[in-house]
Parts: sequence; structure tokens; C-alpha cells
Amino acid sequence: MSEAELGAREWENTKLSLSVFFANKAAVVGLVIVMIYVVDALIVQLYPQLIGITSAGSLVPNFLNPAPLPPSYTHLFGTTYPGVDLFTSMIKAIRIDLFYSVLVVAIGAAVGSVIGVVSASVGGLMDEIVMRITDVFFSIPYLILALAVGFILGRSLLNMSLALAVTWWPLYARYTRSQTLSTKEFTYVEAAKASGVSKLKIMYKHILPNSLPPVFIQISLDLGSIMVIFSTLAFIGFITNASIPELGYLTSLGLNYVQTAPWAVIFPGVAITLFALAVNLVGDGLRDVIDPRRRS
Amino acid sequence: MRLWVYILRRLLLIIPTLIGLTFIVFILSHVSGTNIILSEYISPKLTGAARQIVIQKLTNEFHLNQPVYIQYFYWLYQILQGNWGLTHTSIFDGQVTTAIALFLPNTIMISVVASILIWVIGVPLGVYSAVNRDSAADHTLRVGSFTLYAMPIYLIGIVLIILVGVYVKILPFSGVVSPVLVSSVPWYVNGISYPTHIILIDAIIHGAWGIAGDAFLHLILPSVTLALAIVASMIRILRSSMLEVLDQDYVRLARSKGLSERSVINLHARKNALLPVITLFGLTVAGLLGGVVVVETIFDYPGMGYWTTQALLNSDVGGIMSSTLLFGLILVFANLIVDLVYGFVDPRIRY
Repeated sequence: MSEAELGAREWENTKLSLSVFFANKAAVVGLVIVMIYVVDALIVQLYPQLIGITSAGSLVPNFLNPAPLPPSYTHLFGTTYPGVDLFTSMIKAIRIDLFYSVLVVAIGAAVGSVIGVVSASVGGLMDEIVMRITDVFFSIPYLILALAVGFILGRSLLNMSLALAVTWWPLYARYTRSQTLSTKEFTYVEAAKASGVSKLKIMYKHILPNSLPPVFIQISLDLGSIMVIFSTLAFIGFITNASIPELGYLTSLGLNYVQTAPWAVIFPGVAITLFALAVNLVGDGLRDVIDPRRRS
Repeated sequence: MRLWVYILRRLLLIIPTLIGLTFIVFILSHVSGTNIILSEYISPKLTGAARQIVIQKLTNEFHLNQPVYIQYFYWLYQILQGNWGLTHTSIFDGQVTTAIALFLPNTIMISVVASILIWVIGVPLGVYSAVNRDSAADHTLRVGSFTLYAMPIYLIGIVLIILVGVYVKILPFSGVVSPVLVSSVPWYVNGISYPTHIILIDAIIHGAWGIAGDAFLHLILPSVTLALAIVASMIRILRSSMLEVLDQDYVRLARSKGLSERSVINLHARKNALLPVITLFGLTVAGLLGGVVVVETIFDYPGMGYWTTQALLNSDVGGIMSSTLLFGLILVFANLIVDLVYGFVDPRIRY
């Protein structure tokens, strides 16, 4: 096959993948929502003045009028304690939530997949030890472990995400390991072995490209859950800096006013749910693309 | 493999897990230096010379001047002796073991009620959803469980509080009992009920039906929140497992024999679809243990989770480390039970 033919074939494949993904309407809606969050984060990061945000990294309290106000034209989603405008705070918060969730997933996935692939390829005693270590991590409820690790590191956003990464890597290690192990058994790997391809080349040419896509899906699915857990930690009191815009923390600000100002807790909570939902929908769509058996 | 070999193997495998678990907790409390372990065991009220004496005593007791891996064994020895240190939070100040004795019963209560709800709601809905695949009810259930699955657990609690506690004022959403009712009850002192520390059971023991009813009402919202947070994944997994079973040859055979759809589902399919759900029990326990931390905090419910968040807010090492250890131990043994039950039920697993 010539270079051009190969390129054309790749393009055909991409076109097929795209059409499969876009045939799933829910996945497209999910993708749009995720894109809105990403764009929001980028705007707040790069051009906050574009949407009239002056202090992107902190909440603007109004101690003269601290009690929550209902939604109105000046405060689209109302305000929460202490007189913080919810809509702009949520726009700022999405940047922080998104950044730290991506950080957790990136660290967890990088560490976990390397350990998983190595463990599966080396095998033997090393594999057994790695699996026992992941067992231990799975034996502590992740929220509790993250709480304990974060507590020791000190309560801050960065430490909170480090703590979550510490609790999350075993999942990816297990997942990559089992993927690698099952890929190793495929006939094309055996064929490559039989035709004398070197071990290393089989590793990155045949095993990795085929075992990583499912891992990427798992990762994309986890971004939603991670953001939920991240906000949960913030909600139960992980944030010591009172002016950090974070969705879980924003929810906890309104908690004392739940009887008089339901909007103060509902809006930030829904923002988290919407993102987690959208990510799951996208993940479903991606699964259709990668696993042909799921296409109907 | 024989069943007893499997059981023995599984029991032996728990040893490295337990060592790893205790080692993680130990390392966590030692990584920031000896101050952390000392603060687990010294009352902050102690000052001056008396404090120095206690520090000296603890240094000897825990061999804090020895290498870390040796300290681990002395620490483990103290833990096994039941010497879990002190906790200083706004809801409890004193021995960790006393705190656990006070808070754990409440957490067990709420978890038991929640797991009953999970199974009672989850199994029928999951089976129904699979049997009536692609019906309107199935779609509604799928969308519902998908949304519920994406919701943070605190939002579920808040929505319930707003709907049931604020708009329809039928259920209380704070604490375990109305303070007015228990103000002059001899078995309820300083917010602690005797003898079991679970006020619902204590009230029944003492025949105080009014208080028991009130305590029951206080139990509803927290346990429903906890159940809803977990039931979504239960329905989803049961649905797909049921669909898989319905596609099996023995189900097709039962159908082609002319059995009624009802007995096909009840006698042939459901039992086999429930097998993977046994593994879910372990998952449920993990979910419950994480969930109680949030739920108890929202509902001011005095259990292990509420104590843990209080410990976090009060920078209390004793509380955090002990609850990590205890939650870990509970999960390890829950998973052990799941594996053993699985070994009994499904002979394939033993090989």
C-alpha cells in the first residue's frame, strides 16, 4: 500500500468513528455541555475581562448585604452567603473545578497506567506485589483515604487533588494491567512474536495502541466522578481559604440558608451534576466508537 | 479446588491486606514527623513540665527514637491493645475507643437501613427494567439512575431536605431526635442514649414509643439519601447482568419448553442475574462507608462520618487516623465475606 492509500484509509476510519459518535445524540449533547465548561474555563483563565470578571481567582463578598438574595436581573442565579453573586462565582468556580479534576485524572492515569503496563509485562513476583498493593488501596473507602491523605498534606486545593490522585492510581493500574494482559493473548501479537519482532517493539507497536484506548475511555468517564468527589471534599470542609470559588464550597456556603434560599445550594450542585452527566454521555459515545460490537 | 482450600487461601490473603492497611495509616500519621503521633495521644490542655513528662513516656512507649519500621510494630502493638489515642472535636473529647463505641452504632444503624432500602428498591427496579427492555418505564429508569449516578451525594441530601423537610414539612432533617422529647429522660444524658447508643433501639427497650417514633422519623431522610446515592449503580449493573442472563441458552430453553414468562424470570433468570450482585455487596459497603461521611455531616447525624468531618475541621489526628483504620477494617472484612459467599454460591469462582 502506498503512503497516500494508507492516509486515505486512516481518514475513512476517522470519518466512520465520527459518524458513529455523532449518531449518538445523547453523546453529542454531552460533548456540547463539556465544551461549554471548557470554554468557560478558558475564558476565565485567559480573558476574564471579556465577560466582566475582575477577580477570577476569588469570590467577591458583600458584607453589607450578606444574606442570600433570590435570582433577579442583577443576580441571575441569586446570591449566597456572604452576599456573593452565584452566577459569576460559578463561572469562576468551573475553571478551578475543571483544572483540578483534570490534574487528578492526569496524575492518576499517568502513574497508574505506567505501573499497570510494567506490572503486566514483567509479570511474576513483581506483578503479584503490585496487585497486593492495589488491593490495600481498594480496602480503604476512597473518600476516607483522600480525606486522611489530604489532611496530612494540609488542607488546600492542590493537596486535595494530590490526595485524590493517590487514591485513584490503583484503579488505572488494575485497568491497564488487565487490558495489557488480554491484548498480549491476541493472535496478532503471537504472529508478531513468531515473525521475530523484538519484545520492545511488540510492546509499543502492538500492545500499547490496543490496550490504551479503553483506558482513555475510563479516564474520560472518571473526569465527571472526580469532579463530583473533588467538590464533595470541598463541601465537607476541605477548603480553608474562605474566598476560593469552588462549586462544592459554594454549595456549603448556602447550606445554612437551605430553608429560605434553596437556589444558593441548588445551582452550584446542579452545575456539578450537569458536568458529570455530560462526561458520562460522552464516555458512552466513545465506547460505541471503540467497541464495534456495541454499534447497532 | 476444594471449598476449604479456597476459604483458607482467601483467609491467608487477608493478612498482607491488613498489614498494608495498617501500614498506610501508620505512615500517614508519621509522615509529618513525631509531632503528629504525639498529638494523637496528648491532650492539648496539658502544658509545661507535665507535657514534657507525657512526651517522654510516649517516646518510650512507641520507641519514637527508633527507625520507622520498628516504630510500626510498637504502634501496631498499641493499636491491638486497644490504645487508639485521643480525639478532640467539638462533638466529642476523650478516648478514641469511647468515641467509636458512641458513634459506630449510629452509623451501623443508618447503613443497615440504607442497605435494606437499596436491595428493596434496586433489585425489583433493575429486573423490571431489563425484562421490559426499551419500554417507557425502562427509559425513565435509565435516565433516572443515570442522573442520580451523576449527582454528588450532598446534592441528593439537599434536594430531599428542600422537598420533604422545607416545602412539605413532614420529616425532620437534623440530629437523631427532637431535643424537647428527651430533655427529661433518665436514659438520655448529654446527647448520649443508653445502653446501645442508638436512640431508636434504646427508646424501644425502655418502652418510650413516642421517642422511638420521633427517632424513626429522624432516621428516614439520612438513610434514604444514602440509599439513593448507591441504588443508581445497583440498578444499572443488575439491569445489564439480567439482560445477559436473559440471552443465555437455558433461558431460551425454558421459554421454548413453554414455561410462562413469569416462571422463566423468577425461577431461571433472576437467581443467576443476582450472582454478580453479590460482588456488588462489597461495592455497596464501600459506597456506604464513603457516603456516611457526607450524609451524616449534612443531617448532623452523630455517627462515625460526622465525627470524621469534625475531626477534619478541628485538625484532630486521632479522629482522622482511627476512622481511616476502622473504615478500612470494615471494608476488608466485608470483602472477605463477599468472596466467601461467592465461593459457596458459585463453584466456578474456586478455580
